[in-house]
Amino acid sequence: MSASTQAGAGRAKWVLASPLIVFAAVFVAFPLFQGIQTSFYGLTLQDPAAPWVGWQNFVDLFSSPNFLKAARFTVGFALVVTTIETVLGFALALLMNRAFPGKKVIFTFLLLPIMIAPALLGVMFRLLLNGDIGLVPALLSRVGLDVSLFAPDTIVPMIVLLDILQWTPFTFLIIYAGLQSFPTDLVEAAQIDGAGRWRTLVSITLPIMKPIIFAAVFLRLIDAIRTFDVIYVLTAGGPGTSTTTLSIFVYKTAFESGNFGLAAAASTVIMVALIPLVPVLVKRIARSEKRP
Amino acid sequence: MSALTTTATRTDAHEPEHPRRRHRRLWGVTAVAGTIALVVNIPWLNAILVSLKSEGDIGRGALVTDFAPTTEHYANALGAAGYDFPRFFMNSALIALGTVVMVLLIAVPSTYSAVRLGFGGRFIMNSSSALRLLPAIFFAIPYFLLMSNLRLLDTIAGLVIANTFLNLPLGIILLSAGFRDIPIEVEEAAWVDGATTYRTLRSVVIPMLAPSLVAVAVLVFIFSWNDYLFALVLSSSRATPITLGAANFVTSTGIRWGDISAATLLSTLPPILFAVFAQRYLVSGLSSGAVKG
Repeated sequence: MSASTQAGAGRAKWVLASPLIVFAAVFVAFPLFQGIQTSFYGLTLQDPAAPWVGWQNFVDLFSSPNFLKAARFTVGFALVVTTIETVLGFALALLMNRAFPGKKVIFTFLLLPIMIAPALLGVMFRLLLNGDIGLVPALLSRVGLDVSLFAPDTIVPMIVLLDILQWTPFTFLIIYAGLQSFPTDLVEAAQIDGAGRWRTLVSITLPIMKPIIFAAVFLRLIDAIRTFDVIYVLTAGGPGTSTTTLSIFVYKTAFESGNFGLAAAASTVIMVALIPLVPVLVKRIARSEKRP
Repeated sequence: MSALTTTATRTDAHEPEHPRRRHRRLWGVTAVAGTIALVVNIPWLNAILVSLKSEGDIGRGALVTDFAPTTEHYANALGAAGYDFPRFFMNSALIALGTVVMVLLIAVPSTYSAVRLGFGGRFIMNSSSALRLLPAIFFAIPYFLLMSNLRLLDTIAGLVIANTFLNLPLGIILLSAGFRDIPIEVEEAAWVDGATTYRTLRSVVIPMLAPSLVAVAVLVFIFSWNDYLFALVLSSSRATPITLGAANFVTSTGIRWGDISAATLLSTLPPILFAVFAQRYLVSGLSSGAVKG
């Protein structure tokens, strides 16, 4: 690269990178190490002189029904919302992919939910579902349904529904942005050849859009697995443990029960489980850089 | 639905559609898309309604529409009722602005070094992408231990550091795309004229990087304004930002829904204003990594 021929670049390279090197060492590498290390200690909030316990935390973790239940709930929740949000986001992107009156305003409104803090949305959802003054119970009792929305049977579908309201705009945005660079001449060619709309969608749009749809699924899936804020504010993982995600399990184990060792073991397991997904995205970002 | 229209489209695909019919169909799209846009925004539209009702009208139920609007809840949220909300707002602003400054100070020189001077090779980009994917909850425990050792628990500085950590990968990814878009000939010309690397970066490259800098600043501001998990773990009272303050207010007994709605809406204003006035930066930033950023 011609950059290396430049005078003094050798030293400048390190000088310019030094803030990142220092920050990464103290606030990335060290916590990463300490997080994994903690999972091998019997560390609690009360006991600073923690003993080394080996793999005991991991043994306890996999025999903990609460952890296994949280894992099942998190994976199930993530798969369901990702599937629905991708399908709806794709349909919405196809709908929005044309000029029509008021498009600019509608587009802006569609993106707003992504901008709102999930924790504050949790507050708004509580208001929406509140038994006395909430909009949803009021509408339901209009049609003769008197249910407590915070009961174990109804809260899970509610959480799925609310997640769809907030994150369909995200999958829509990713897919819509992809459609903008879509070669429209192919669709026109297909239509001139007599292909109908459905046929064009299945044979041309979907195959070309596959990498983008895949990316939307992937990003949404990772975020859904990490879900914490909105559910924690809405239900704190309850009633019982019925809406406890893995993140809520880790938080409660560490900061409510004070069992740092077990919580660290749980978060190490979650991280190790997500690691196989990492190269997939890394490759995608690398590819998008090379594109002109 | 599309299957049913297939035959129709096939026969009239080339014939120009009657203008009035086309017109009506496009307004149909407006109606459907507009309804969807309304539905996804129900949570805060509902909160607006509640925030404008008096406590008495709120108690009459959600479907009451014949109420006299009041702004008392906004006055309360802004300090009239003696809540801590003004301080929470101030904390959120300090944390978000501090994080923006920190991310730019660290990411701009080091990303330049990585992209143009060969620092770290692909390692910097790969580990930034990887960090974006790691669950934030993993870092909650080590960050709590680290901040308590550094005596930074419940301080603005502690939360600025935590949010810098969370947002640095995004900053590096977006800035590296920005640096790559600047033609290297511009920098080469500066070197030929005898400018040092630092001077080239400061006087030639950074001015050309302005759009990427704005995009990073806007996104980092929103994301650190919206952070909740690290605020919950690292702050208890003095450094509490608005997300945590509002959520705590709800979980305490005797909820005053009018006041909480007003406070919640006020705290969603900065991100929403950005969404409206800096939309194109958000679109490119949010989809980076999925589509070309």
